[in-house]
Amino acid sequence: MTYSNWPWQYSFPPFFTIQPNLETRAKQLEAWRSLVLDYHRALKLAVLDVSEAERSELFNNAKLQRKLPSEGIIQVLESLAKNGNAEPCNKAKTRWYIYWHTLPEWADKMYNWAQETGQTNSVCTLFEIMNASDQDFYGLNEDVVIKALRILEGKQKAELILDGENSGVKFF
Amino acid sequence: MRRSAGIGAIHKQKKEQGKYKDKGSELQESQLEQMSKQLEVFRINLEEFAGKHRNEIKKNATFRRQFQEMCASIGVDPLASGKGFWSVLGIGDFYFELSVQIVEVCLATNYKNGGLISLDELRQRLIKARGRSKQHQEITIEDLLSAARKLRIFGNGFSIVPIGKGQYLVQSVPGELSMDHTAVLQQTANLGNANISISILKTHLNWDHERAKKALDHMVKEGLCWIDEQNTREILYWFPSMFSECITAR
Repeated sequence: MTYSNWPWQYSFPPFFTIQPNLETRAKQLEAWRSLVLDYHRALKLAVLDVSEAERSELFNNAKLQRKLPSEGIIQVLESLAKNGNAEPCNKAKTRWYIYWHTLPEWADKMYNWAQETGQTNSVCTLFEIMNASDQDFYGLNEDVVIKALRILEGKQKAELILDGENSGVKFF
Repeated sequence: MRRSAGIGAIHKQKKEQGKYKDKGSELQESQLEQMSKQLEVFRINLEEFAGKHRNEIKKNATFRRQFQEMCASIGVDPLASGKGFWSVLGIGDFYFELSVQIVEVCLATNYKNGGLISLDELRQRLIKARGRSKQHQEITIEDLLSAARKLRIFGNGFSIVPIGKGQYLVQSVPGELSMDHTAVLQQTANLGNANISISILKTHLNWDHERAKKALDHMVKEGLCWIDEQNTREILYWFPSMFSECITAR
């Protein structure tokens, strides 16, 4: 799968230099945030590896010979995290979860789906959730699914049963 | 020729002068009377004309341009006031409406161009926003200039920067641009690029390094341009307002 929905900024060379003017930088980071989210949504990528990202087309425009340096990538990720759209997978912050919908949003979507399809009070497997073909969370990363379900669990709206391949959830 | 001398001659001369004077003021008076009559007729005709062609004024760009030219040549500004003699023409209304729309477009695009927009882009966006009917589409660059100039009354937050070759930029952020900043914009436009550098300014404008850097730094500070540190030779300064992908972006 290739990504084609590049914004105008992607062909604007200074987009790849973190801007010194704070107002301009705020606009720049906003454009980066929406590009990163849209890119991950379109390609269904849940995890971003910082060292790989430097080489990925997302941050490296080969045609322009411009790339966002890793400090820049970290800044983009930190600013995504502030909005609940990203979260480091490890303490070293070398890998990040990218949430094009925030976890509470995912949780709501899954709960609504369960209600609409009459699955409350019965167990459905994580596999079923990830294969609900008409849903936004179709093909979503399992870690992210579990994180979203944990939020429902915290609200007593679901209970997770984690058992390897047979993992499932009971919605209330 | 022998001149007449004596008291009689002097009296005669005085009497003649008096006659000329009387005749002169008589002529002046009749001229004035005639002129006010003409003006009255002109006014009546103009009002009649305006009444009949009110819609035409709003719709027809060529007419507006000719009218503007006529006014300029006789030193009248039909936009000076919304009231009075000229208001009957509805010319003012047209431009006031346009001014408001210009401000709207400038505010709406500020997020990407930092408050600097080319008049061409402004026109494209206005036309899109004004709707499809023909009268809304026929907005000329002259119309926009007239309308945008009216916005000067709001102080230096709004100005028109000529950048040569009949091109203009409209600046909609507070903070006046100096001669040097205008020169930077002109030079950038002149080279047909959206970027400029210190060495280009040194070569083309004969500036020293300090002067070029100071001007560019100021424009970065004002959010009018972005810096690109990944060019192999030197830092490039980019203007989104002149970058074609930015201009055509929504």
